[in-house]
Amino acid sequence: MLLILGVIVAGYALLAPLTSLDAAQSAGAPLLADRLWFHIATFIAMFVVMATAWNIIGGITGYAAFGNVAFFGIGAYTTGMLIAKAKWPFLAALPVAPVVSTAFATLVGLPLLRLRGHYFAVASLGVGVAVGELVQNVEYGGQPVFGGASGLFLPIYAVDNRGLFFFYLMVLAAALSIAVTWWVLRSRFGYGLIAIRENEEAAAVIGVNTTAYKVAAFALAAALTGLAGGIFSQWNVFINQDNAFPIEYNVQMILMALLGGTGTVFGPAAGAVLLQLLIQFLGGSLPVSAEIPFVSDTARPIVAQVILGVLLVTVVIFVPRGVIDFFGGRTRLSMSYLRRSLRETSL
Amino acid sequence: MSDPVPSTQPQLELRQVTKRFGGVAAVDGVTFEVAKGDIVGIIGPNGAGKTTLLNCISGLHRLNGGDIRWQGASISGMAPHRIAKLGIGRTFQIVRPFGSMSVRENAAIGALFGSADARRRPKEAFEIADEVLALVGLAAKAGHPVSALTIPDRKRLEVARAVATRPHLLLLDEVMAGLNNVEIDEALEMVRAVHATGVTVLLIEHVMRVIIGICRRAIVLDFGQVLAQGEPDVVLRDERVIQAYLGERYAKRLKP
Amino acid sequence: MGDFVQLVILGLLAGGVYVAVGIGFGLVWGVLNIVNLAHGALVIIGGYLTWQLFTTLHLDPFLTLPVDAVALFVFGYALQRGVINRIIRAPLLFTFLLTFGLNLIAVNVLLLIFGSDFRSVTPSYSGQGFEFGTVVIPYVPLISLGVAIALSAALAFVLNRTRIGLAINAIAADRDAAQLVGIDLRHAYAVTYGLGAACAGVAGGLIAMIQAITPTAGEPYTLQAFVVVILGGLGRVSATVVGGLAFGLVEAFGQSIPGSGSVFANAIAFGLMVVVLVTRPQGLMGRLR
Repeated sequence: MLLILGVIVAGYALLAPLTSLDAAQSAGAPLLADRLWFHIATFIAMFVVMATAWNIIGGITGYAAFGNVAFFGIGAYTTGMLIAKAKWPFLAALPVAPVVSTAFATLVGLPLLRLRGHYFAVASLGVGVAVGELVQNVEYGGQPVFGGASGLFLPIYAVDNRGLFFFYLMVLAAALSIAVTWWVLRSRFGYGLIAIRENEEAAAVIGVNTTAYKVAAFALAAALTGLAGGIFSQWNVFINQDNAFPIEYNVQMILMALLGGTGTVFGPAAGAVLLQLLIQFLGGSLPVSAEIPFVSDTARPIVAQVILGVLLVTVVIFVPRGVIDFFGGRTRLSMSYLRRSLRETSL
Repeated sequence: MSDPVPSTQPQLELRQVTKRFGGVAAVDGVTFEVAKGDIVGIIGPNGAGKTTLLNCISGLHRLNGGDIRWQGASISGMAPHRIAKLGIGRTFQIVRPFGSMSVRENAAIGALFGSADARRRPKEAFEIADEVLALVGLAAKAGHPVSALTIPDRKRLEVARAVATRPHLLLLDEVMAGLNNVEIDEALEMVRAVHATGVTVLLIEHVMRVIIGICRRAIVLDFGQVLAQGEPDVVLRDERVIQAYLGERYAKRLKP
Repeated sequence: MGDFVQLVILGLLAGGVYVAVGIGFGLVWGVLNIVNLAHGALVIIGGYLTWQLFTTLHLDPFLTLPVDAVALFVFGYALQRGVINRIIRAPLLFTFLLTFGLNLIAVNVLLLIFGSDFRSVTPSYSGQGFEFGTVVIPYVPLISLGVAIALSAALAFVLNRTRIGLAINAIAADRDAAQLVGIDLRHAYAVTYGLGAACAGVAGGLIAMIQAITPTAGEPYTLQAFVVVILGGLGRVSATVVGGLAFGLVEAFGQSIPGSGSVFANAIAFGLMVVVLVTRPQGLMGRLR
């Protein structure tokens, strides 16, 4: 059932934008052919990439990295700098983003992945924060290298129907991430990663080169995340520490993977779509956003965050295995399921 | 098929192997040899350093002294996965299955990695998994999740996974622990079957029946040192061995 | 030379705040294995409580600190017992996300109540200090350091000399064994978190006197608490004290680097933490777990 539903929704989302604005509006589907929708949809696709990429190192390999936004920012600045300062064309600058992200991940991953559990999470968070700070503030000869606090401006990419172009580009990246995940899960590499997650010592003694595999998973996640960043920089035309290294993205990626179901192919993607729609809905940026009663317009974004927080807490407490368990038909959302998962995790 | 005869060249050699934790030597100057095709038991009271010794051989611990040689070449300091690739496989005393995989996948993953003789692509790995599961008697439960297995079955799976790596030497860590008499007999059959395929076996055991039953040689460890080695029934009557297990008073009592 | 001494003094004084921020965080992490991403929120709640009492009741801010401690203890106890205990046996990731959610709620509720304006607590003696030639030792940070040390001593006393403290130690050593000897885990866990929150509350009160606060001002302190605990070593209050003071010194000297030293504060903090994690994971004073 899920499959049919998913195909219909995906098909609609992907093909409807191709129809002309007039046709869509007269058919009564203003949402999709609308520029705002492109923007939101592209944003959602971006998170699909990031959540799916995180899943490779966090969900499949079991090393919950907390600073993957660093790769997003590195990708964004790599492409951004090549376009803005070195005057490269976009399509040439874009592939460099994943390359640089991967190189960085390999360098940083070698020492970092020797750490376990909390220590790895915290260290990766630290790296994520530090990289953002450094990129924004590093100077050479008194001048900020990467544009400093005022950020980096890119020339607008000259192409017809820009919204459409970047939407499909980001969707392509999302499809790539999902395809990579699918491949990983049925390959020898993927089995090795799962073995590392389940029991690293046992994996080592049966012959898995745990160090190489962990770093490879980390680098793979970095490459995909960096790609998303590269697309973002040209799409958004402006990047700075706030929009290229937002700390909240770290948690959002993880939450999306968790929500959808880590370790699965479509889980993180489902989680990304759901959560991002929710965030946008609560924030009031969706055309169908409802009015929250008793709340003024200025207080609305704050209340939205509170609701988000409450939802997050509720989900974490009651749905540890992710929603894809329900949609996949493996479990049903019932009181007994909720009670069971509560018993498993509480004191 | 008759039992393979052990050849004269040592396959595994331990020379003065020492491993310290803090100030305490868990393994202290251990020296012995294992010939190819042999089946050797390591026994000793709790805390004698048996599991630590296995950990040293399989590369999970770095040695503080001495050397371990495999087919003539030193392997001390090698990473565990490289030792596995050389053909040394092991099981863990407290079994460590990969919980989210099925029984079949657990067995297959041994064949996906493992020694140089293994390392197959996924499709072949699953075929090898089926063979191995049949060898240990788990063929009927191949599709089950690991969580559904009983303890004896989990131990079988642990062995299956190790065997799937196509080892030349298999290190078994207390495979019999927690099994009742019937289960021990079945496990003995399983170990014999594995040995019969040409794998050298080095096992740690507490159950004397096993040592006397299948081991050709026994090595006794106490406080990290080799107390005695030789044929099982000789070793088990050695006064020092009895003393180590039962204490001085009993040793005197049992003296003929 | 006078500059160097001044930097050392400023570093140690700043370290006082970091000690206060770190000990609560380290306690919760060490015993409950929870990395409390809502720690900064607890700190800033303490800050607002102090500000409110100072502003409406004109109490000397240092006198409000015990109120902070008690109020945050109760709040923390309830939070742990009611909410956090529900996922305590889940994988580590879940506590990260849960506490992140709690942080989100707390900060935004504060925003709704107090708005985003900056508030500060300025008793009559703020800004003044002892002077020894060119070296100045400001009063408020000095007393704060004293409070922080006293707080650490108090926490150490509770942990080592009271029944509940020993119970907490037992749990930290072996949770199942502790249960077997009859320790009520739920209560002990809640007390632990309450103590951590109480320390955070006191830290918040101190912070309100040193800087202007706004609901989001607590966030950096969560991250800095990490660094302090890792730097000093997880597991003992004394280790965190060392970590806090060391961090204060690093920050003081880092900020004095000519150029954009102060801007790199976060980067230095995290760089230091990563280096420590990779080279000496047990910290300056900890024991390797």
